[in-house]
Amino acid sequence: MSILRAQDAGALLDLLVKKQLITDQEAEEVRAELTKEVSTTSAGKWKLSNPITEIELYGDARLRYEYRAGRTDDLQPLGAPGAGVAGHRDWQERERERYRLRLGLRITLADDWFAGVRLETSTSPRSTNVTFGDDSGVNGPFSKDSDRISVGQAYLGYKGFHDITLTAGRMPQPLITTLMTWDGDINPEGLAEQWKHTFNFEFGGGTTESAAGYSKEGGKGGAIAQSSSEPFKLKIDVFANFAQFVYDDSNPENPLGARSTTSANTGNPQLVPNTDAFMLAWQVGARFTFPKNIYAQIAPTLYNYTGNGDTFNVHYVGGSETLPNGGTSGSLATNQTGINSLLVFDMPWEIGWKLGELPMRIFGDFAVNFEGDDRALAAGHPGKGDQRYAYQIGVGVGQLKAKRDWQINVFWQHTEQYSLDPNLVDSDLFDSRVNMEGVAVQAGYMLSDAVTFNITYGYGWRSDSSLGTGGTGDIGINPLDEYQIFQADLNVKF
Amino acid sequence: MKIKSALILIAVGFASLEARADRLVIKGSDTLGAKLVPQLAEQFKAQHPGTTFDIAAEGSTTGIAAIIDGTAEIGMSSRRAKPAEVSAATGKGKNLKPTIVAYDGIAVIVNSANPIKGLTKKQVEQIFTGEVSDWSAVGGSGGKISIYTRNTSSGTYSDFKEMAMKKRDYAGSSQKMAGNEQIAAEVGKNPNGVGYVGMAYVKASGVKAMPVDGVTPSAQSVQQHSYAYWRPTFYYTNGEPSGLAKQFLDFTIAPAGQKIVAQVGFVPIK
Repeated sequence: MSILRAQDAGALLDLLVKKQLITDQEAEEVRAELTKEVSTTSAGKWKLSNPITEIELYGDARLRYEYRAGRTDDLQPLGAPGAGVAGHRDWQERERERYRLRLGLRITLADDWFAGVRLETSTSPRSTNVTFGDDSGVNGPFSKDSDRISVGQAYLGYKGFHDITLTAGRMPQPLITTLMTWDGDINPEGLAEQWKHTFNFEFGGGTTESAAGYSKEGGKGGAIAQSSSEPFKLKIDVFANFAQFVYDDSNPENPLGARSTTSANTGNPQLVPNTDAFMLAWQVGARFTFPKNIYAQIAPTLYNYTGNGDTFNVHYVGGSETLPNGGTSGSLATNQTGINSLLVFDMPWEIGWKLGELPMRIFGDFAVNFEGDDRALAAGHPGKGDQRYAYQIGVGVGQLKAKRDWQINVFWQHTEQYSLDPNLVDSDLFDSRVNMEGVAVQAGYMLSDAVTFNITYGYGWRSDSSLGTGGTGDIGINPLDEYQIFQADLNVKF
Repeated sequence: MKIKSALILIAVGFASLEARADRLVIKGSDTLGAKLVPQLAEQFKAQHPGTTFDIAAEGSTTGIAAIIDGTAEIGMSSRRAKPAEVSAATGKGKNLKPTIVAYDGIAVIVNSANPIKGLTKKQVEQIFTGEVSDWSAVGGSGGKISIYTRNTSSGTYSDFKEMAMKKRDYAGSSQKMAGNEQIAAEVGKNPNGVGYVGMAYVKASGVKAMPVDGVTPSAQSVQQHSYAYWRPTFYYTNGEPSGLAKQFLDFTIAPAGQKIVAQVGFVPIK
């Protein structure tokens, strides 16, 4: 007997008493018996504190086979090729069997507060995967050294103001993004303010009169229908998302004694920055939903960074084609993660419709770094400021909602060396790199309402062959001249 | 000689057991235990000479806990046992059996000098959650509202939260009192005070009970369940009662006991 059934029975008992079919005492005895039965069920043994009005347990588990490979170019200076030393057009290949586990709680609290927590495998910000057997040398085979649980999300928020959601902590991505700009596994830390309002319009629907109505609640405010013809209904969700993410905490802000210096940026000694780095995002957008399941969404966003932090403060270089791979003096050692000179405008968009019963969509993203010139100059390539653009365009068919559903997405992506923050871009499809372009195919089939089989294939290559491929990926090559990835996933979602 | 001494000891032992059997331990609700049950006990003792009562009225939670722990034969409660309590009882091999002994209405009381004539359920919720803090917001003449509630071990505390406040938290400024009499006394002294008490306490000096959604708490409105904050009150026992506990329970729900129920200000079950 579930709690819900017990509650239903309580309402039934009240009705029976009201109709004088049973006495209050008889109702109490039945109610006590029901409570006793419920207390012996699994659900009845859970005890939740009073301020919790609703709690949702959710999560997923995934098994993955992955092949990932990258190739050096045929021009870069090399040492004599040998074991562990790259040669020209030399492939590095990795095959991994992996798993991930994510387990979360979404908690609704009294008085419009909410909170959430999610535990995840892996310590990486851009991956929740653990590779089978990768730590067998630590404590023997099947060691659990890398099978650790991290706090992926821990946040609280407030929804007490109409249309507004405020969130603080380590949170699910509050912005509308694509894999081009943000890896889907990233849970940013800081503050987010979201506003969303829905407008409903109706046009036509009458034989002689056409009246337009507007209602915040989606009603038929003011519409007068004179015939049976369907009015044209338009729903517009207008939204604005703002975020202040703590990108890098500098510690200490005020060190003992004199501040230390670095010559990593210019070759000349400079004080090591001692201010925290914040990433700020301003996103406004709208989703238009037309009759017959046609929709369009656009979400222009501006990102910038304040402060320097103490981890990402060295000027971004992004690797170099003039340096050999490997070794401390190689191009891998040149800075891949600096966040200097990034003022990025990003505009993800999507248009969807149905062909018969088949959902279809085209989607894309466009980004430009307004400070691309400065970023290129700081990287030692003053003539490459035009390498500031990134875009993605694709088409999708199908959807994954229920058993036997299927979906295919195909897209083209191009990201230039000084266009995006390489610390945020997707870690799989182009190995966390920029200055890459190529194609990706994602296909999925739902074996049950909870189990999905997915295949992903990506093939990319260096976009500008005179620059490195900035970013720190799994393939130990920079420039990454050619790249392939194949993933086969079995996902269980609950 | 040794045998004789042993026999005497056994005889004394039986005698003391018999004396213990005439003692009834009752714990729990202040609403029931402050007035009603002591008066019932006095009447019962008059009919059953030699019976003694040990009554402790420290809140419904303590009454149910006493049945679970086996430290009382009857647990007085002005609320139903919570699932966690039922679960705890089951874990200890106990069976919490409720018997309705009277109805009660939780009356919202204000100072008799307060000009307000009545409240809606929504206004009651707003007042006790702190959503409104001035009497002018609910039709009064102004003044900062002083809220008096029972303490957290009280069944009335949780009953009122569930019936009147949609389980929301009490206002942080609310003052927790040990019993109904204390609440009535404080509200009677404070022109801006508001609180809630069992119906037996609405006649305290300086207070008046508020109609809620136009219905005044009365024997009739509670019996008909038309008053919003009516509730049954219980004796909890470990399964079917027996012995002295059964006798006292039967006495309570019999006409003689129910007459006392009415005299004290509760609403009889029949």
